[in-house]
Amino acid sequence: MNNLNRAREFDAIVVGSGISGGWAAKELTEKGLKVLVLERGENLQHGIDYLGEHAPDWNLPFNGMKNRQEEAEEYPIQSQNYAFSEANKSFFNNDKNNPYVHNESKPFNWIRADVVGGRSLLWGRQSYRWSEQDFAANSVDKSAIPWPVTYEEIAPWYSYVEQFVGISGQAEGLKELPDSEFLPPMKMHAIEKTIKRRLEDKAPDVTMTIGRVAVLTENHKGRSACHYCGPCHLGCSTGSYFSSQSSTLPAARATGNLTLRANSLVEKLIYDDETGKVSAVQVIDTKTGERVSFRAKIFFLCASTIASTQILLNSTSAHFPKGLANRSGTVGQYLMDHATGFGGVGVFLDDMDTYYYGNRPNGSYIPRFRNLAGEESDTDFIRGYGFQTMALRTNWSTNITRRGFGAELKDNLRKPGQSLFVLQAFMECLPNSNNRVTLSPDKVDRFGIPLVSVDFSWSENERKMMEDMKGQAERLLKAAGAVYIIDNIDEGDPIGGMGIHEMGTARMGDDPTQSVLNKYNQAHDVANLFITDGSFMTSSSCVNPSLTYMAFTARACDYAVKQLAAGKL
Amino acid sequence: MKRREFLECAALLIGGVGLTQSGFSLSNEQKHYLASAPSYIKRPVDYFSIAQRTLINRLTEIIIPETDTPGAIDAGVGKFIELMLADWLNDEERKVFMAGLESVSDMARSSFDKSALNLSSEELLVILNSLEKHAENHPWYDLGNQDGAFVEGRPAPFICQLKELTIYGFFTSEVGSTQVLRYQPMPMKFDGDVPLQKGESTWAGRQT
Repeated sequence: MNNLNRAREFDAIVVGSGISGGWAAKELTEKGLKVLVLERGENLQHGIDYLGEHAPDWNLPFNGMKNRQEEAEEYPIQSQNYAFSEANKSFFNNDKNNPYVHNESKPFNWIRADVVGGRSLLWGRQSYRWSEQDFAANSVDKSAIPWPVTYEEIAPWYSYVEQFVGISGQAEGLKELPDSEFLPPMKMHAIEKTIKRRLEDKAPDVTMTIGRVAVLTENHKGRSACHYCGPCHLGCSTGSYFSSQSSTLPAARATGNLTLRANSLVEKLIYDDETGKVSAVQVIDTKTGERVSFRAKIFFLCASTIASTQILLNSTSAHFPKGLANRSGTVGQYLMDHATGFGGVGVFLDDMDTYYYGNRPNGSYIPRFRNLAGEESDTDFIRGYGFQTMALRTNWSTNITRRGFGAELKDNLRKPGQSLFVLQAFMECLPNSNNRVTLSPDKVDRFGIPLVSVDFSWSENERKMMEDMKGQAERLLKAAGAVYIIDNIDEGDPIGGMGIHEMGTARMGDDPTQSVLNKYNQAHDVANLFITDGSFMTSSSCVNPSLTYMAFTARACDYAVKQLAAGKL
Repeated sequence: MKRREFLECAALLIGGVGLTQSGFSLSNEQKHYLASAPSYIKRPVDYFSIAQRTLINRLTEIIIPETDTPGAIDAGVGKFIELMLADWLNDEERKVFMAGLESVSDMARSSFDKSALNLSSEELLVILNSLEKHAENHPWYDLGNQDGAFVEGRPAPFICQLKELTIYGFFTSEVGSTQVLRYQPMPMKFDGDVPLQKGESTWAGRQT
């Protein structure tokens, strides 16, 4: 074998360097495999390249006001995301250079990163375990094929990844939201403690707990405790929140077994008819346009749900005319995202004589309390939702439209105002075969790859849940003692994709005619192909999914390496 | 704290454990960190006439005057507004703003028979109050309005534009953030229940 071939031959290839890809890289390299990680985005060095970190407003263009013209031209989709700003736009996908197709009358916003580390740099860091009820839901209400994995089976893997990630939170002993291996919880604001106390009294069916978040409250595995500067999504050079950049990629690098190639867009996987396995991956260098292929024994697709689906659908062959590993025809179907909905804002006049020190990058959480297993249900929908909450004190920016001029205006604006408590719902979305990702028949990107097309709308169950959620939010804000409730903000339907929890387009199941992956994230049709990003999800729960992707990725790596050692791959 | 100092602190905090692959040698990119970039208002701009510039400075100072703490002129708010006019407002908004500025001069002549620059601060305040009174039913003033004065295709009246640019420019400026509000980029801890001292300002930063 000559040097060039050796440089293109690996034990394992991981496509994507986000949350799932980072974990696959860490686990596989630590088990001794030579691993190539392919990332379509730009290289980014941890710390060094977080150009906007700690940038004060006055140093930003327009003192941090949105650059409307550039956003409209270059980032019309990405700029709708709360985390997008002048200080971190270089982390995001350029929508003009890398477009996709959706129906603007029922839009789906595909929020994407375009750098090494992927969305793990930008995520909200909320980390919750799924419950026994979540994994059983499909088989209980029969709205989709059953999960092939139970909570019991995945629980040890949750523990395994949590110990590495470092998740701060408060143990509550709730069956509907199992506790993680926690670092100490973050403290609550005074107003949150007041609200929690009142809810315990007046709405005892709900629990309010500090957000469970992948942000360190004490030094952990060589990363330092949070310094509470606030905006994590600008990057964190102390590695105080979990990202591939701060955590898994450095661990993989430390083994000496990692090769990471940025600017490497995967066009397709090459299927070998003779062996019945994937033999290589075809890559386009996004800087030069050059096509190059890399070979390996096993392949992990971790490119994010929609991107991995695009790769599968684009990897056609005589054997797989509908796309790789798609004998079932379900690749691309059952796309889900959490329906996020504004519940209401309560205005509070309590605890006016207290204030805070430091910027806590976390809110409080009210876990699912509707349709819990074993409880009487009075709802007209199945599944449920949780509330992510945010307590904030009004300041000059919330009161900018105040009347008047002069010293009095200035004095009013500089001082803290009343407290606001915001309820934001994350609602479970049912898998629906009409919600799907396909390839455009006629549009291609700048490299000639067919564009992804997304067709997505909410179903009746999610709409009923949105209704119920509004009423429950009002009940909770009243119980919490709000003096005024702003609940008349009509956002219209939530836009699909804005939960940034897209998942489900290569789901797992025991029946290979109805699913793409088996219980170990291994393709039914192709033994050496594993998919561990959100596409494997058979249902969506209502909790943030990243922790679950991590646990399944670690488990899949363990399985794959054992199978490889046993000569089965 | 400048970015370089921060990185050095960070290294101390975590005991020098693999912060970056290449240690602390500054790359070219590092020299352009936003954190250590010059302030936005240090950029050159030449959009207003000298008379317009003077009038804008006086108007901003009436909105946010110097008290026992610095005011709009100290914070360079006029420069911020001139930059925003030149670089950020769209044509329609710019037209509304410049016409509004002109109307201040018109009102100076019709109400006080003076040029705007010769008005006393009390007289300028009369004009601003009158502009605000005239615009009072605009949705910009609605309770809880978070849209601001610069919604594409629906420019708010001049007085709303002027107030929003002034207040925003002031409280995001270095002077406003550090000398009127309290600026602490590296708190190192979080406590959600500390006594609020009488008259204490909020922390600097945008809430929304």
